[in-house]
Formats: sequence, structure tokens, C-alpha cells
Amino acid sequence: MTVKIVTDTLSDITSDLAGELGVTVVPLYVRFGEEVYRDRVEISTEEFYRRLVSADTLPSTTQPTPNDFVDVYNNLAKGTDEILVIVVSSKLSGTYQSAMQAKDTVAGKCRIEIVDSLSVAMGQGLIVIAAANAVKDGANLDKVTDLARRAVSRIHLIAYFDTLKYLAKGGRIGKASNLLGSMLSVKPMLTIRDGEMAPLTRVRSFNACIDYIYNFVSGFSNIELMAVEHGTTPDDADRLVERLGSIYPKERIYRSVISPVVGTHAGPNVSAVTILEAEKG
Amino acid sequence: MSHIDTVAGQDLREMFSAATSWLEKSSADIDALNVFPVPDGDTGTNMLLTMRSTMEEAYRAPDHSASGVAYAMARGALMGARGNSGVILSQVWRGLAQGLEGKESFTAADLASALQKSASIAYKGVSNPVEGTMLTVMKDAAAEAQAQVAGDNDDVISVLEATVNAARDSVANTPSLLKVLREAGVVDAGGQGLYTIFEGALRFLKGEMELMRLRKPQIIVSELPHTTPLTQAAGIDEVPYGYCTEFMLKGEKFEPDNIKKRLARKGESLIVVGDDTAVRVHIHTLDPGNIIHWATGLGTVHQVSIRNMDEQHRDFMEMQKERMPTADTAVVAVVSGDGLNDVFVSLGAAAVVHGGQTMNPSTKDILQAVESTFSDKVIILPNNKNIVLAANQVQSLTQKTVMVVPSTTIPQGVVALLAFDYEADFQTNAKIMEKALSSVRSIEITRSVRSTKVNGLKIKRKQPIGLLDGDLVAVGDSDFDVINKLLSRLNLKEAEVVTIYYGEDVEESEPEQIGAGIREQHPQMQIEVIRGGQPHYSYIISIE
Repeated sequence: MTVKIVTDTLSDITSDLAGELGVTVVPLYVRFGEEVYRDRVEISTEEFYRRLVSADTLPSTTQPTPNDFVDVYNNLAKGTDEILVIVVSSKLSGTYQSAMQAKDTVAGKCRIEIVDSLSVAMGQGLIVIAAANAVKDGANLDKVTDLARRAVSRIHLIAYFDTLKYLAKGGRIGKASNLLGSMLSVKPMLTIRDGEMAPLTRVRSFNACIDYIYNFVSGFSNIELMAVEHGTTPDDADRLVERLGSIYPKERIYRSVISPVVGTHAGPNVSAVTILEAEKG
Repeated sequence: MSHIDTVAGQDLREMFSAATSWLEKSSADIDALNVFPVPDGDTGTNMLLTMRSTMEEAYRAPDHSASGVAYAMARGALMGARGNSGVILSQVWRGLAQGLEGKESFTAADLASALQKSASIAYKGVSNPVEGTMLTVMKDAAAEAQAQVAGDNDDVISVLEATVNAARDSVANTPSLLKVLREAGVVDAGGQGLYTIFEGALRFLKGEMELMRLRKPQIIVSELPHTTPLTQAAGIDEVPYGYCTEFMLKGEKFEPDNIKKRLARKGESLIVVGDDTAVRVHIHTLDPGNIIHWATGLGTVHQVSIRNMDEQHRDFMEMQKERMPTADTAVVAVVSGDGLNDVFVSLGAAAVVHGGQTMNPSTKDILQAVESTFSDKVIILPNNKNIVLAANQVQSLTQKTVMVVPSTTIPQGVVALLAFDYEADFQTNAKIMEKALSSVRSIEITRSVRSTKVNGLKIKRKQPIGLLDGDLVAVGDSDFDVINKLLSRLNLKEAEVVTIYYGEDVEESEPEQIGAGIREQHPQMQIEVIRGGQPHYSYIISIE
């Protein structure tokens, strides 16, 4: 039977893409005051960012419950006996824990492997895409799990932030905290290192950000997959795609919008470029 | 949300018991906030151990009244107080006990007045109270509780909630009150601990036990810019810190105030608290033997702890090194003016050497700054062409690997520092930073010191003159006039960001007007006006 792939909404795999890839996406929760929404399911990204900017109090987020995963596993187990779950970095969210706990409750029925992407957004999403492609080519669970695990270290994500306020308040700032508190208005650029946010550099304009990303991406001779995403600024993402198009075919770049749960911690006006470096040899 | 009018003694015990577990989850994080030489190398652990002793005694209270429990807590805290923060914490419980004296249960108003008592007693125990510490946090929290009660709030939960919020804001504000915190870019550890305890108690009262099990307390992040570098705060000078000496004195007819007076000149960070039968002493001294000897003449001495703070300091330096995200490479910049100093530090310079035009620092000054950083690899930004040479000399005088990125103006130094790449190695960073130098144009406005003729310009004494990338190319009637002449020489179509750093002698309103003037002519540019506080140059302008 074919391996079924499961991920969470932080992967920024949109429902269209999920359908195409045959991937099941488990939503996290985002909460404004007393109102709780399932990420991307009960609140659209547009609606979310509108409220993020206008709300008095910042929203909060919660991982899926183990039960959410149990339901998904049981459902999929009707049609397969092999499931691969690729979750957001365990250092950023407890989703990994929920997926693990759920695994124990359905033991026996179905083989389940869980991969900690040590990344988020399309850093996680590109691993999901690579795994889904391998499944289409007929890979079994062992093979596709191994492929996903090996992909983790070949993911490179660069994100441009308007402010680090949201990351700091949500307690997800990690080592990027030393980009806080600049006296000049500068835009921080971050990456993910060992599953946590880490500083890259600072730029003073989006043009400088594009230059930085362009130079970074140019350093890779062989790129397997590339994604460009944004929170509220599609024009910025368009400019990135335009510039990166000279390195990598534009039409093959995955476009996505940063999910509300990630947006809660990243804030608006974020853009991110992710590449999955091709395996050497 | 439920409304609570009164809290019984048993609940008082339960809420601080829950608070202790809550504190335990972040005690290691609080330890990491420590800034030497602020006393105590391990505030989080000390507060936790103090709380454990506090709560053990609370469960041995003779009755279940609020008063009985609070007194037991105060006793337990005094007996088990560890470190500076623990001793102050014991005073908080002592105040609470006095405030709840004789009460079976307590109301919001009782709580507010007890907290007020806690604040005043906490201040009294410390011989030299310092603002920006847990004392301030206690005071601010108590003041908010009073304000709530004065506003007719009689719900214990919402009064405590407001109190906890005030404590949090107070913790976030500690760096603005205490320079060492600002320098290290952290909040006060003791204040954070106190806030965490109150937060834990509040969460318990709100019935958030499940959530407390799953989550952990957040360390408050201050959004204040760092002002001077951590390395300068820590210093390299081999000043002996002496011994952190703590003990408990038991006997009778003690007068803690007298004991405090007698010890006042024996050392630093003195705290003496207690009553006529038990007194706890905390002091940093070079001669602990002398103090213990003296104390044994007053009564019996218990729980003696003498720790070598120089060792603690070394451990602390090692810990800091591990925690530095870029331990690999440090940047040292030569800057004059307090505003510019803050700009460089806020952008991550590990140390700043004072100097610039007409006050070039010596090679030794720069060497000292290089040695003071935690890193073995150091990049120097001289930011002035007359200082590049002195900076180059440093390379041969230190064991560290040093590279000079030859910035000749402040704007060049800033773009170089901004270009610093946290993922790149030392050599690559030096290259990236040097390459960035050419991405900025620098304008400097000053006054001519004499009448002269330069580059075809006739200049009168004291007339405003302008330098473009170090060359004197414009003279005019006013600073703005000279700035405009210089800007007109540049191709501003490509420019994105103009930063105006104004000097120490410039009137407040003028820089904004100049900024507005430029914005009017070039609406596409982002213009930022910042107080540089530099001498000699009324304006330093960066065009990127």
C-alpha cells in the first residue's frame, strides 16, 4: 500500500498543494482572546493578518492535541498501513509530542514514522514535498523516512522580518535575541539553526534583503527545491521570485503564504526564501 | 471569571506551593540572567531553595489561619534563605506575615496592605538599597495592589492579576534603572524571580494548574537598546571580588540594626535581617574569617557559607562565553559621542573605544578593548583615517587574531557592522564588512578652525564646511546650506536610506528640520534622525 504523508499547518502546505501531493495537513490552533480557530481551516490567512495588526492583544497559539493526530492516523489507517508524519521543529512547538503520543495509541494497526523537521514554514514544507514526490515514485516507508531525515540538514531558510517584537513576545526568538534593540531602524534577517531561530544579519532596506538572499542562494550549485513565501506582502515575494528567477526556474518556485500560527510569532510583513539543496554525489 | 472575596490560610499555602513549582521550571533560566558583579552567581537556584524552605515550614504551621501560615512561611524563609535574593525574599514573607497578623483569611485590601509591608521591610533589610532590583519590583507591585484596592476592587484575583502585571512591567523596566543590566541586555534576575513567584500564585488562584504543568514561565525580554557592551561591564581588570559570606546567627536579645551598623564597613552588599533570636547575614568581604569570629561572640553560628567570588566570576565568564551567539568573532569600534556609542553597541559591537577626530585613542586603548572581549578573533573598526594605523598596531601586540576593517568615517563603520553575518566565519566576515564600506557615502559637517583656501574654496574662520568621504568640498552660510551643496553632488536616485547623526552642540529642533527638508526633495528615501552626541561635527550623514 502507498505511504501516506501527514504534516501540520506550519509547513505552509496550502490545501490546494496538499490535495495535489496527497498529503494530510493537521491544523494547529490560534486563539484571539476567547475565540479559538483551527489554523487555515477556520481562519483564513487574510482574515488572520487583518486581525493580528488591529487586535489589542496578541493572539496565542496551541499545538494540535494528541487526539487530533489519533483521528488522522485512524482515518488514514483505513487505506494504508504506512504513515510518515513530518512535523514542525520540536524546539518551536509541542506538535512533535502530540504526534508521538498519538502514535502509541494506534500501535499495531499501522506503521507510523515521525520526522522532526527541525524547521518551520516552507523549511518544513519542502521536506514534505520531497517526501511526497518520492512516494509518487514508489518509495516505501523506510525509504521515504530516510529521505526526509536526510533532507533536514539540506534545508536552508532565510526570513526577512519587519520587527522582532512578535518573536520576542511569543518566546520563540532563540539566539536571534541579539538582533533586538537596535538604535537604527534595521530589518533583521534570520535563519533556523538546529531547530531554533538564529540571527543572520541586518539590512536597512528590502533591496538589501534581496541582494543578501540572492548572494546566499547563488552559493549553491545544485538546488532541488525552492520556495518563496510572505505574510502580508505579496509584492515583496514577487520581487524575490523575479530576482531569484535568474538562478532557478521561476515556474518551479513554490509560492505560499505564512500560516496564521507562524504569523502569530513572526508578525506581518515577513518574507522567506527556502531552498532544499540537492544531495551531493 | 470567578470572583474571590477572601482567601483562607490553606489556599495561601497552596498558592505559594504552586508558585514554587512554577519558579522551579525557570530557575535555571533565571540563573542565566545573572550579571556579575551584582551579588549572587545563581539567583534562580537561591530563590528556589529559599522558597522550598519557606513552604516546608508553611506545612508545619501550628494552625491553618492565613496569619499562622504566613508566619510559618516567614520563619522558613529566614531559616533557609540563600544568597542576596533569598534573604530579600525572606523579608517579603516577613512583611506579608506582619500584614496578615491575626487574620484567619484575607481580602484584597488585606493583601494590598500586606504587600506594602513586604516592600517596606524588604527595603529596610538592605543597607544600600539599589533601584532596578527585586526591591523595585516589590515596591511597584505593592503600589499597584494599593491602587486597585483604592479603586474599590475587592476581587482578590483581579487585584493580584494587576499586581502581577505591574511586577512584569517593573521587571521589564529594570534595565532602564540599573546600568549593569542595560549593559548586559538582561532584566534583573531577582525581580524576574519575584515576578515568577507571584505569577505562579495568581495562576493557581485562577485554577490554571493544567496549564502550569504544560508551560513554563517566560523570561521577560527588555526592549531597551543595550548601551555599553557586556564586555566592558564584565571587565578584564583583576579586581578581587572577595568572598560571598552568609550565615545564620542564633541566640537571644539580638538587635539586627546594631549588627548591621557594626558590619557596615566590613564589606559590600551587606544584608542583615531577622529578629531578636535569629539573624541572617549576607556580606561580600575580603576577610570572612574576621566576621565569623566576631559573630561567634554574639551567639551560635549556623549554615555558614563562604564562596570565593573570583572563582564565581571565572565560571560566569565561561558561561557567558558559551551563551554568546557569536563567541567566534567580536567587533571593537572607535567612536566618540554617547549617542553614537549606543548605536554601535545596539548593533552588536562587543566593545567601544572612545575617540575620533582630534582625540585619537592610543594603540594601548584599542588593545585593552580587544583584550576585554570574550572572543579570540576580533575585528576593529577605526572609523577615522588617523586611527587606522594605531588599530593596525594592535595585531602584533595580542595573542588574539585581529583584523582591521579600515573604516574612515562613522557611516562606514555602521554599514560594516550592519553587514556582519552571524553565520559567516572570521575571515569571511572581515571581507564582507570591508566590501560594505564602499556601499555608503559619508558627509561630515564641521566649522573651519581658521581662514584658508582649500580645493578652490575660500573659507572664513568658524564658517560651516562640509566633507564628502573625507574630502573638504563645500563651504556655506549654514549647516543646512552645506548639506544641500553636498547632497547635490551625489546621485540620490539610487539612495535608499539617509541617516543623520547630529552632534552634541546642535539644537534639538534643527536636525528634524533638515531631515524634513531632505525628505521634501527626495520623498522616496527613508530618512532617520539620530542623536550622535559627537563633538566637533555638527552633523554626520550617511547615504546608503
